[in-house]
Amino acid sequence: MEAADIALALTAIACLLLRSTGVWLAGGFGGDHPVIAWATAIAQATLAAFVTLAITAPTGALANVPLAARLCGLGVGVMVCLTFGRNLLPALVVGLVAMLALRALLAG
Amino acid sequence: MSSVTSARGAALFGARDAVGAAGVAMAATFLAFGAAVREAGLSPGWALVACWAIYGMPGQLVLVQAASTGFVGGIAPAVMGAIAVNARFLPMAIAITPLFGVAERKRLIPAIPFIAVTPWAAAMRAFPEIAASVRLSWFLGFGLTSWVVAGLAALAGFFVAGMLDDHARAALLFVNPLYYALLLAADVNKPGPRRAIFCGSAAAGLTFISPSSMGLLAAGIIGGTIAFLWGRARGGR
Repeated sequence: MEAADIALALTAIACLLLRSTGVWLAGGFGGDHPVIAWATAIAQATLAAFVTLAITAPTGALANVPLAARLCGLGVGVMVCLTFGRNLLPALVVGLVAMLALRALLAG
Repeated sequence: MSSVTSARGAALFGARDAVGAAGVAMAATFLAFGAAVREAGLSPGWALVACWAIYGMPGQLVLVQAASTGFVGGIAPAVMGAIAVNARFLPMAIAITPLFGVAERKRLIPAIPFIAVTPWAAAMRAFPEIAASVRLSWFLGFGLTSWVVAGLAALAGFFVAGMLDDHARAALLFVNPLYYALLLAADVNKPGPRRAIFCGSAAAGLTFISPSSMGLLAAGIIGGTIAFLWGRARGGR
């Protein structure tokens, strides 16, 4: 078995355990229990932190896109989402196009 | 959606929801992942198993990055890093479980592999509109469809890797955080999520002063705890 396969197997088992433990722990609580509210806040905050980092300090190919273009895509996408009934797909497409357009402008 | 009361109908609604914006975001991200797997010298089978067995992109990327360097630091640090960046599965599972309205925990076993950011965030948004008795069916429909989309996209990415230049890859990688940002923005009118978004974003800076694999988790725990306490101080509103 190669190193990559061992790493994959161990990570997959650990991720399954994390999910299973969460389900098992939550089974004893009602939906309005403070522990559930706390876990929800942590999950949402983690997602918000992930988005913030991915937009402001990305790694890989996205790091080559100017920050202004990334922020423009995000801003335009969110604005379209909030303006047009929180419809995600058009907002996603418009946000992506805005990012690509400004990147092309800045490069040109 | 609340008018749907059959399990089959709810599962179909879930599958339909998964091929909308969520499907586009998922496909774009996993396409880029498939390309990265090929560049790291791994097999398409490895890409597929990583998608379906881990089903958490940050952790998958940690392993690919470690594989591309030949695991010079050893397997254990790579695995620990992958687990740390995917540790959000724990609070997500805790948060979503009561919303299924299922008394018998073993009935939730089929849903466990699908507890990941995209199905979780979509479910948190959709569940208020879905009758409690069929939420599990909706989630299974959504999760299974997302899984299939993710696997196929990763395989496609693996085989078209040579055709994707840096510009194309950057565009694909941008879709994922943009989609999550839109999911969060759609909830910004509710005080609880608004506080969590604000505190989580503010805490993101912690990633620059903590070990890279633990940074996101630390930001989530600290930001989320402050948001929770803030909400309690305001009477849970």
